[in-house]
Amino acid sequence: MVLFVVAYLLFPIFWPPLSPTLSPEEVAAFFRDNTTGILGVVILCNLIAGSLVPLFAVTAVQISRVTTSSSVFTYAYILCVGIGMTAFILADYCWGVAAFRPDRDPQLISLLNDMAWFFFIAPVGTVIVQCLCFALSVYLDEHSEPIFPRWVAHFNIVVAALLVPSAFTVLFKTGPLAWDGAVSFTLRLIVFAVYVVVTFLVLLRTVNRQGADRVALV
Amino acid sequence: MKSKKRDQWIAFWMVPAFFNVFGLVFVPLSWMMPPRSPNAPEPQMISFMQSHNLLIACALLTLVYGFAPVGNSIYLIQIKRMSVSPVFRYTLMVGSITGAIVGMLFPMFCFGLGAFRSGYRPSILLMLYDFGYLAFIGSLGCFCIMWMAFALAIILDQNNVLPKWLGYYTLWQYVTELMAAPVWISKSGPFAWNGLMTFWFAMALYVPWQIIVYVCIYRSIKNQPDDELESAWLHQTSPATDVRPKATA
Repeated sequence: MVLFVVAYLLFPIFWPPLSPTLSPEEVAAFFRDNTTGILGVVILCNLIAGSLVPLFAVTAVQISRVTTSSSVFTYAYILCVGIGMTAFILADYCWGVAAFRPDRDPQLISLLNDMAWFFFIAPVGTVIVQCLCFALSVYLDEHSEPIFPRWVAHFNIVVAALLVPSAFTVLFKTGPLAWDGAVSFTLRLIVFAVYVVVTFLVLLRTVNRQGADRVALV
Repeated sequence: MKSKKRDQWIAFWMVPAFFNVFGLVFVPLSWMMPPRSPNAPEPQMISFMQSHNLLIACALLTLVYGFAPVGNSIYLIQIKRMSVSPVFRYTLMVGSITGAIVGMLFPMFCFGLGAFRSGYRPSILLMLYDFGYLAFIGSLGCFCIMWMAFALAIILDQNNVLPKWLGYYTLWQYVTELMAAPVWISKSGPFAWNGLMTFWFAMALYVPWQIIVYVCIYRSIKNQPDDELESAWLHQTSPATDVRPKATA
């Protein structure tokens, strides 16, 4: 998370995000002018993507402690994390490859850039399912002292709902749903950042309580 | 009384829902499937790559592809009940993570990219066309290893969670994945990516297999005795009930 903030402060290259309406030549010019900055973001993003994994891993462990009849949601959650991370890193690679040789054919740079945005903004499907798995296992907890408080489930549902519109990014080049739009970009990033912070705090509490749960941790 | 297996049933019924959208995306919406010919006339490939429906398909798929992991978790919980080592479920887990990216999301995006921006040169569109179909039909390794792990787990299992014949049947599924290998080599005939053997024959084997697997899993969930559920410790009356079991995955 610290890395996330650093990335934003040091390299405000992608702010405001590139408009999808730019022509290939304009995109290529952008990559030529900002090579260093983009490569910096690429390297940092790679690390960031990786450093979110432990947080989700802890979430998965806590979901598996919830009393339900099977681990189905734990598994689905882990799979979603794996897929989501890979998509994020692929987006990162596309930007990196584009910036690595900025004198490449502008059409190819533009293609890489499009692909990066596709992978960066559009694949919300797994994040949504991730939230739904989390929420469902909280709702279905049979234990009288549930692992997670109820509002965590409501919160996950809200996050999932707010992410849905981003899937339609690929249909628009302008307006709030385009990849630089208010809903797909700004709202999505804010929602995701809030989600990471809230999940972090919830886990902190849950893990602390687990310690007090005596034999459970044997 | 509420079912104790609600989590399993919710996850189970998500899967047919997902397959319906999946079918809708690939067949009537985008006409990606059945696959177009690898040596179709160039203008035809280009106009296909630029059709707006590909983008709609792309958007729908990005929205629902998260349910593929749920479908795979259904296999995972069945393998977990078996007497076999966790090796099999971890293998299937990793196979399905890579499979979802290389076999579904990436090819779909290749098709979507061509339609997203109209200015691309034909050579780029043709590359995306090839990349999309080859990745979609020719991705073998991750699916091979998934079905192999699933089949071996069923065959080696001593708890009879799933019937043994399903294990041998699943081994055949592995063979159909191998049959897709020649799509990387031939551009026409029965072994091209739209060929009789690699696509139609493989589909004819795959679709019934997938349905049978789900019927078997349905029965397996239904027949699972209540005292074998992972939540069973909560419903026992012995004094040790308050001890939460360790998290296992």
